[in-house]
Formats: sequence, structure tokens, C-alpha cells
Amino acid sequence: MKTLGKTLFWLVLIVSVIVFILPFWFMLCNSFEEFSYVLPIPPHLVPSRISFAAYEHVLSQSDLPRAAYNSVVITLLTACFTVLIASLSAYGFARIDFLGREVLFRIYLFTLMLPGFLGIIPQFLVLQGIGTAKNGLIGTKAGLILLYVGAGICGNTFFLRGHMAALPKELEEAVKIDGGGHMTTFFRVMLPLALPSIGTLAIFCLQGTWEEFFSAKVILGAVANQITLPVMIQSLKGAHATRWEWIFSASILAQIPMILLFAVFQKRFVVSGLSDGSVKA
Amino acid sequence: MKKLFALLLALALTLGACTVAVAEEPVTITFWHTYGDAETPVINDVIIPMFEAANPGIKVEAIRQSGDFNQMLVTALGTGMVPDVARVDITKTSAYAKLGGIVAMDEIEGFAALKDAVLEGPLSTNLWNGHYYGLPLNTNCKAAVVNLNVLKTLGFDAAPATMEEFVAACKEKAAGQYKLNVSGLGDWDLFPYFWLFGGVVTDEGFTKASGYMDSAESVAAINTMLQLHQDGVFTIRDVDGTADAWAGINDEYAMFFEGPWAPFNEENGIVPALIPTWNGKSASVVGGENIVIFSGSQKQEAAFQFVQFMLSEEVQLELLKVGVIPTLKACVDSEAVQADPKWSVYMKQLESTQSRIPTPQASTVEQLWQDAMTEIFIEGADVQSTLTSYAAEIDAELAK
Amino acid sequence: MIPASFDQQAALKNEKRLRLRQRTRNLLPAAPFVLPGLILACVFVVYPMLFNIRISFSDYQIVQRTMTWVGLDNYVALFTERGDRLLLAIRNNFLYAFVTTPFIMLFGLIFAVMVNSLKRSQLFFRTCFYLPVITSWVIVGNVFAYMFNAGGAGLVNYLLKDVLGLLPAYVPWLNRTWTANLVIWLLGIWKNIGWAMVIYLAGLQGISNDLYEASMLDGASRVQQFWRITVPLLKSTTFYVLVNMVIGSFGVFIQVMMLTSGNPRGTTSVLQYLLYDKSFNLFQFGQGAAIGMITALLVLLTTVVLNQVFHTEGGKAE
Repeated sequence: MKTLGKTLFWLVLIVSVIVFILPFWFMLCNSFEEFSYVLPIPPHLVPSRISFAAYEHVLSQSDLPRAAYNSVVITLLTACFTVLIASLSAYGFARIDFLGREVLFRIYLFTLMLPGFLGIIPQFLVLQGIGTAKNGLIGTKAGLILLYVGAGICGNTFFLRGHMAALPKELEEAVKIDGGGHMTTFFRVMLPLALPSIGTLAIFCLQGTWEEFFSAKVILGAVANQITLPVMIQSLKGAHATRWEWIFSASILAQIPMILLFAVFQKRFVVSGLSDGSVKA
Repeated sequence: MKKLFALLLALALTLGACTVAVAEEPVTITFWHTYGDAETPVINDVIIPMFEAANPGIKVEAIRQSGDFNQMLVTALGTGMVPDVARVDITKTSAYAKLGGIVAMDEIEGFAALKDAVLEGPLSTNLWNGHYYGLPLNTNCKAAVVNLNVLKTLGFDAAPATMEEFVAACKEKAAGQYKLNVSGLGDWDLFPYFWLFGGVVTDEGFTKASGYMDSAESVAAINTMLQLHQDGVFTIRDVDGTADAWAGINDEYAMFFEGPWAPFNEENGIVPALIPTWNGKSASVVGGENIVIFSGSQKQEAAFQFVQFMLSEEVQLELLKVGVIPTLKACVDSEAVQADPKWSVYMKQLESTQSRIPTPQASTVEQLWQDAMTEIFIEGADVQSTLTSYAAEIDAELAK
Repeated sequence: MIPASFDQQAALKNEKRLRLRQRTRNLLPAAPFVLPGLILACVFVVYPMLFNIRISFSDYQIVQRTMTWVGLDNYVALFTERGDRLLLAIRNNFLYAFVTTPFIMLFGLIFAVMVNSLKRSQLFFRTCFYLPVITSWVIVGNVFAYMFNAGGAGLVNYLLKDVLGLLPAYVPWLNRTWTANLVIWLLGIWKNIGWAMVIYLAGLQGISNDLYEASMLDGASRVQQFWRITVPLLKSTTFYVLVNMVIGSFGVFIQVMMLTSGNPRGTTSVLQYLLYDKSFNLFQFGQGAAIGMITALLVLLTTVVLNQVFHTEGGKAE
């Protein structure tokens, strides 16, 4: 009975993993091929050859390296700003009882329900009006970063507020007795204590920014040397036909940093108590 | 507090550094296009250097857009951050004109000379509300792409001249094996067949579909397609789940219709041919792109210089080498075109083409057409009544 | 009695006033914390939202930036359109929520429990299940479009017909209403299970091992443990996953754009795709904005309903 259960357990687990991995395996196999615009029949489940020609092509002939650099810069800076501003405002909402706090927070919550790219044209107009350049921040990394941080602020504040509100009050009072203000409390007490949830937020933010397509396309799409990886991959699709091996090899390359990120920080994902603060939906 | 300000300052500086990186050139015009993998290097490495050498004061920044080009352009129009000049699809030109996004080019000095130099048909796609909003940059149409080896099994030594004999041979020698393929039910895919079998979409002035799209001839054309489909001669990939034309033409299909970018392969016997006639007449659909200048551009003068350059014989012949059909009358009759087996076919085919409805509502009209065809081919709706009701819908769009 | 109660009232009032004063005074220290976020939210979230409400009642000409008030015309046009694209999209959003959420929750929980019981290979399996979550929608959209190709080049057709012989003919997956919707659902399920699994894994950390040990002494089997301990104790986590998945269902967009474009005849469309199509392909910005407002309203209603049903029934979910 016990061995039967065990066999069943592993069978289910392994079959599930195979189903989960199949699309990636398929992508990998096909990235070694050369299709010249036509898909093979039957499809290849095992690579018919191991060739890195497609990888060489996307690395040397396309904008991939440039786009990867852009993606890295944008993703890292977005995560930094998001963490800073979201944790500041989460602290404000969780620990300072100021006038209008509840109303404001309700507004924040309400905006979470709205479709994201609904506001793309007004957002674009705002970015265009910032700065002295003719097109403002359109076509610049700064513009896209600002949009990401701004558009995500309500949700991220909400996420962190729950965690911060759940932290014990005693340490904070100790700081107050020593004559420290809110800033001291924030940097000395709150940040270290909330670090696990801040780390989780940072990772989610990195991941979400890395794959974002629509805003990146609209804000940066007109400036060839600023585009990000998803936009670049989509631009590999031809008007009449597509070299799939290029798309697949570029996709795999673009995925590697995220896989590494998850593999390295995955303990944080789970242990940091994702559920306790954020369940207060 | 100090710490926070220092941090904010540092971050603000980083952002600032990102912004400064985008410097401005004296006169740089931006050119948006959707040229393919083959043409883009020619644009970037040959044509633009040629232009910049001839016009030292102007630099061109060419940006290749992808499948969502239309969405990019609309966003650009909405925010005023438009390119100076762009190559846009002929079916979209009047929509951009109606939106007020592109300039009436016939008001620019020098237009008349260019207008006389280009082919009439492609030129007409730029006309909206009494003005020309652009110039045809390149044209194309669908012609037949045949596999000579497969045709041999059907008893043909060359591309068939008439559809009647092709159909008869398919029924006789390859019963039930689809030999003729089309991808989908959209206008670009289905119009050539619809017209070939005698269908009519609108009146000549494109003002009305009722009485044309639902005429007896049009119903007969759809019925012919349905019959061929039922007989196992003609397959629609999106309806039957059959192989894609580009793959199937290698061994399975005898023929499909495609633009000059088709995967021709002399060695495997995949060559271009005229679309076989039905009732003595061939038919096809016109495609291509126009070059337009944007109302929001501050550099319309330089942009027009670029337009003039793109429509020079030199450039048009250079692009012909990578499969772009010129629109200059002078090039059409040139040696390079006439001598080439592929170009001669497409040039000949262009004579029997029609264009899709040139209206600002083109996208909606296309959607209506596709909906009607979906009802007929997939859901099995009645041909006459479906065509009649959708023709009325199209009338309403054309009246807008 | 009367003076006493009056005193009480006065004291209450006084206290309220004091508290109000304190809260007003707190505005200043709160400002450096809340203001940066608030400014960003106003500029990038609230202002665009208000702008959109205005557009949804207008005929908006994007190039000239003119707005002509048209009242409810955009809404009426959407509800009376031939082919009922709006209603189909709403139907598909709800179907997506109803179909994908249970599978995501069920498999997320099962995988979480299975992975949690592993010792050495946890890292490997966790990464495998999480891989779809961290893969860009653009990439998975491309792969699924390819895998569900209509002809013999499609991996699924090949496996089901040529290898396993389960199908008599190739299926044009993405070109038929229900098979295309099925693929859209499958993609949604496949992409989100890993997320639910990670949330459940976090929840499982919070369950004390003593409970399992005690029940083991009572002779409970693993399956019984699962139903009697794990499932009830993860109730709040389940609610969190449920709300996120249902609300998230209204955000479905890229997979529809990449797989079907809403075809055939808008029967696989969803609200977000319709919004995109109306605005950017058909230039009906007013109607696009109206779809956005309708979506917001539906999300609001759904949230209220979910809170009512699950909170009152299961007590506090916190």
C-alpha cells in the first residue's frame, strides 16, 4: 500500500512536470533548427541537430544585446524606486493616523480594479509634458520607469501596508521614548523588520517589469535603441512570415535572468510569509 | 531626513542621467516602416546612406515597426509624437487622413511631377475627400504560386491557364486531396477567389455594397467556393485545419495565391504564375504601401525631400532587387522588370487586379466581411441572406 | 441623569475633537511618507482614470484632441452592436474566471502539498512549476500559438492524432470558438498554477507540524489529513488566491491578442481585447473608454459579491 502510494505520488509529480515543461522543451528544441519561414511537419520534439546559428543571429544581427541592456537598467531602477516609494507610503498608511487616511486608502484600493492600459494615452501625455526636451520623457528609460513606479504604487503600497501594520508596536515606542521621529523609526526599525516582505515585493516587481510589453511598446517603441526585450522579441515577427527559431532563441535568452533570479531567491518567495500580510484583501 | 533626501537626490540624478542620453540632431527626420528581413538591410545600409550623401543637411532615422504598427501610429497620432514620414498600408491611408494625422500631399510644391510619374491604380489609394494624402511607394498583388511537381501528378506540364481545367484535373486525379489552399477568411485572402468566380463587392465608386455583394453573381461566386471546398479541391486553412500554404506548397498543394514575398524555389519547382482564369478572366487583389507625411511633423520640407528621393528610379530599382515592386511608370517598363521571370508575372497580374474598399472605415468593413464569411463557411449560414444583411451593414459604414 | 449624560456626550465630543486635531496635526509628519506615492498615483492613475470617464461620454478625436459630449451614445452603441461583441466578451471573461480559477486553486494546492513533502528535490520541482509564471506573456503566447497550430505542424495536433491516434483529423484549435477558448483557458491555467502553488506553500509554512503528528497518532491517513487539516487551515490563503484569480480574469488580454484576436466573430474576445481593438484598430476611443468603465463596474460588483459570499460564510478571512 505504501509503495503503491509512493509510486502514484511520483508518477503524478513527474507527469505534471513533463506537461509543465513541454512548451519550454519545445521552444528549446526548435531554437536549434533552421526553418526558413516554414514550420516542419511533423513538429520536432527532439532537436534534429544542435546548432546555435539562431542564437548567433539574434546576438549579432538583432537588437537583442541592446534591448537586454535596456531591460536590465529599466527593471533594476523600477524595482529600486518602487521599493523606496512604496515602503515609505506603506509606513505612512500603517503607522501614522493622519486625517483622510481611510478615504485615501480606499481610493488606492479602488484604482486596483481598473484595467491597466486604459490610461495609456493620458499617461503618455503626462510623460510628454515632463522635462525640457521636445518630447518630454517619451522614448526615454526614465519615462518608462516613472510610469511603472507610478502605475504600480497603489497596489504595492497596499501589499506592504498589510505587512507593516502586522509588525509589533513595541520597538517603535522605544524609538519614540528615545526622542526619535518617524524617519528614524522607518529606517531603524521598520525597514529591517519588513525586509522579507520588501524583498518579495522587489522580486515581484523585477519579474513584472521584465516581462511588461504594452507600455514599453507605446513609450519606447518609437526609439529603436531604447526598446526592451519583450518588444524586441515581438518585433522579430515578420510582416508575412516568421523565422520561429529566432523568436525561440531570443525568448530563451530573455528568460535566463528570471530563472536565475527565481532559483536564487526562491526561499524568500516562500518563507517570507507572503500570505499573512497580504491576505487582508 | 537627511539620509532620505540624499537617497532621493541620488536616485533623481540617476534618472536625470538616463534622460540626458537622448541628444538632438539639427535636422533628423524619422521614418517608420515595416520592411521585412530582406529589405531592412537595404534601407539601412544602402538607401539611407545614399540619401544622406545627396542631402548633407538631413539625417534619416529609420525605425522598423512590427505587427502592431497601426497601434503605434494611432498612439503617436493621439499624442502628437509622430514620425515625420512613414510607409503605411494602402488600406489604412484614408483612415489616417480622416483622423487628420497626415497632410494633403498635393498641396506641397513638387507633388504634381511625382503624381504624373507613378501608376494610376496605386495612386488612387491615396485619394480621400478630394485630396491626395500620400504617394504610392510600392505596389504588389497576389499571383499564383505553383508547385510544378505536384502539378505534374495532375497532368500539367506548366501552370494551368484556366481554373476550369485545374479543377477538373483535381477532381479526376486527386479526388479529396486539397490541391488549392487559402489561409483565412479575410478580404486579402478571399477577395481574389470571390472576384475570380464572378463576385462583386461594391459599385465602382465604393459607395454601396447592397445590390453588389448580395447580387446573384456574388452568391454564385460564394457557392462555387463552397462547392470546391466540398469537393475536396479548395481548402481554407482556418476552416479545415489544413497545412499552412508556405509549408504545404512543398509537397501537398499544387497552388496558392501570394504576394511576391512568397517562398519561391526554382529547384523544387515552386514558381510564380498568373492566376488561372475562370470564365476567361483572371483576378487578384492589390496590396502595397504609400508614403505619407504627418501633420504633426515640424520638418515637412525635409520629409518631402525624402519622399521625392524614395520615389526616384535609383531607389525603386534598388528595392526591386529584394522583391519590392516599384510604382514608377518608368521602372515598370524597365529592362530589369521585363526580363525577370518573376516580375513579369506580377506585372502582368497587376492588370487584372482590383483594390479593397478604400475607406476610412476599412478596418470595420474588413471585420464585417470576415464575420459574414465565418457565418457562411464555418457556421453554414444561408449565403443569400447572410450576404444581404452584411451588405446593409457595409452600406452604413461607407455612408459615414 | 441628564447632566451626567450631557457630560458624557461633551467628553465624547471633546475626545473626538482632540482626535481630529491630532489627526490633522499628523498630516505634517505623514507628508514625506505618503506624498511621493500620492503624487505619482494622482498623475499616473487617478488623472488617467478621470480622463477616461470623460472620454467614455464623448466623441474623442485623438489628433485634434477635441471632445464632444455625446452622453450615453458610446454605451448604447456597444450594447446594440451587431454580433453582440460586448456581451460575448463579458461572457468570456466570466467563463474564464469560472473555468480557470478552480483548476488553478486545486492544482496549486495539490502541487504545493506534494512539493512541500519533498526533501531534496524541492528546489527542482518548485522551479519547474514556477517557470510559466516568470515567463513573459509574449513568449508563452508565441509558443502556444505554435503548439496549437491548425495543421500537422502543431505539436498538439501531431501528438493527439499521429502519435496517440485520439483524433480522426487535425483540429483547427484557434479557429473555432470553443477549442480556441479552451486553449486560452489552458494557457491561463498553466501560467498561474505556479503562482497559486507558491502562495499555498507560504500558507503551509504557517501550519504547525504538531497538528499532523497528533492526527497521525489518531490513525488519520494522508488524504484525511489533507481534507481535515490542510484545507480548512488554508482557508484565508484560498480566499486570497480566489480573489486574485477572479479579479485577474478581467485583465486577460495578451493571450487573446496573440492567439485568436477574438476570432471567429468576436466569440473568443474578452473585455480588454475589445477595448484595445475598438481604440487602436477602429479608432473608437469613446467606446474603448466605455468598455473600460464597464470593466471597472463589473470588477467592483464581483469583488463585493465575493466578499459577501465567502466572508460571511467562512467568517473572517483575515
